[in-house]
Amino acid sequence: MVIWSRLTESFWLNTQLFALTLLFALPLGLVVAFGSMSRFTPLRAVVRTFVWVIRGTPLMLQIIVIYLGPGLMGWGTPWPAGSFGRLWAAVVAFVINYACYFSEIYRGGIESVPRGQTEAGQVLGMTRAQIFFRVTLLQVVKRILPPMGNEVITLVKDTSLANVISNKEIIMMAKEYSAKGLIWPLFSTAIFFLVFVGVLTLLFGALEKKLDYFK
Amino acid sequence: MALLEATGIGKNFGSTKVLQNISLSLEKGEALAIIGSSGSGKTTLLRCLNFLETPDTGRIVVDGETLWDADDPATHKEREKRKKRLHFGLVFQNFNLFPQYTALQNVMLAGQLLARERPDFRTNRKQIYEGLEIQARRLLEQMGLSDRANHYPHQLSGGQQQRVAIARALALEPDILCFDEPTSALDPELTGEVLRVLRELAAKKTTMIIVTHEMAFARDVADRILFMDGGVVVEEGPAHQVIDHPREERTRRFLAHYSA
Repeated sequence: MVIWSRLTESFWLNTQLFALTLLFALPLGLVVAFGSMSRFTPLRAVVRTFVWVIRGTPLMLQIIVIYLGPGLMGWGTPWPAGSFGRLWAAVVAFVINYACYFSEIYRGGIESVPRGQTEAGQVLGMTRAQIFFRVTLLQVVKRILPPMGNEVITLVKDTSLANVISNKEIIMMAKEYSAKGLIWPLFSTAIFFLVFVGVLTLLFGALEKKLDYFK
Repeated sequence: MALLEATGIGKNFGSTKVLQNISLSLEKGEALAIIGSSGSGKTTLLRCLNFLETPDTGRIVVDGETLWDADDPATHKEREKRKKRLHFGLVFQNFNLFPQYTALQNVMLAGQLLARERPDFRTNRKQIYEGLEIQARRLLEQMGLSDRANHYPHQLSGGQQQRVAIARALALEPDILCFDEPTSALDPELTGEVLRVLRELAAKKTTMIIVTHEMAFARDVADRILFMDGGVVVEEGPAHQVIDHPREERTRRFLAHYSA
């Protein structure tokens, strides 16, 4: 029983990291997407190069670089000592990484809305912002729900990577037991992930259904 | 003075001259049909009038106001384009209705957004919205779509969608309503119901420019016809004369394809 409650406690860290990543990466991804679609070539080149680097290197490495990099460069570490600082370093690394992945999904979604929708808004005297928020956005959301569902599910499981900088999340907790010769807690962690992902799957299914009213 | 005076309109895409020195004028209440084969520049001309393309040369004057003068940068301000567009309405070949809104919402949306710019919007919001809804319902009724007001575009036939699109364009009461091949995406049965609406609009003296491949329709409904080929105006005149007694050899060859 003690083991179960300690696993549950440690999974709270995975949940926090998951929620905080989504909270910041979802809007930031949109900003990155606009950058990568900018008509200003230097900005577009910088943003696309950045996305390439982030998508092209392991998230685990990025977490380490974000946490230890500033200190190793002699700039002094920006992270508070203790578990709080380690969690936020992980959040920053996750937000940057996921914002880049999200941005590509957003870009695909935005570019898949027919040009005629924008033109119809233009000839009706709408502003660019009105066209985006009142015409394009919901169509984008509808189109990107399936790939977003995929990415969000991946995020649930990626949260374990935070243990590379000693964040005591569920896998790390379970590994401590297996080091002592108790192996079942490690396999039991699968249940936590499965339940979490199950809930998300239902949620995305419900969202898709909600947007089923138009084509 | 004519309601619309466009003079010397030219447009290049790269090295391709899509429009060369096009001039046209339109009186209030007049219907002008533009005919010509694909690639003749008809659609580009309409898009220039609606500022979806910017002409490289020429002037566009509506009601005495210079909306565009290629030689006068003061008329090129991006911020003012939006207001200038409102002189024109445009009905697209493939409707471009907003899929997430009902027919009624499609017709009302732009009016609601523009109403926010009115100084009395905050105080009279309710009355303004009610007025817009009454107007939208009246327009849908005029299009024979009263019973479709709460349908989404995907629940409507192509002909019905195009009629909603016409109502949407009419809702902003443009000076000049432009149609870009409004029936080209429709099968013959549905074409009829859209052409009927256009006939009614012409009978009510709506100022219109219609790009079309329906020659019989153009002859019967338009006051004047303009025949374009290769980015230039080949022939222009009263509708019956251009269709039945074209002066130019090129016009005759084009019309021969339709005299079945």
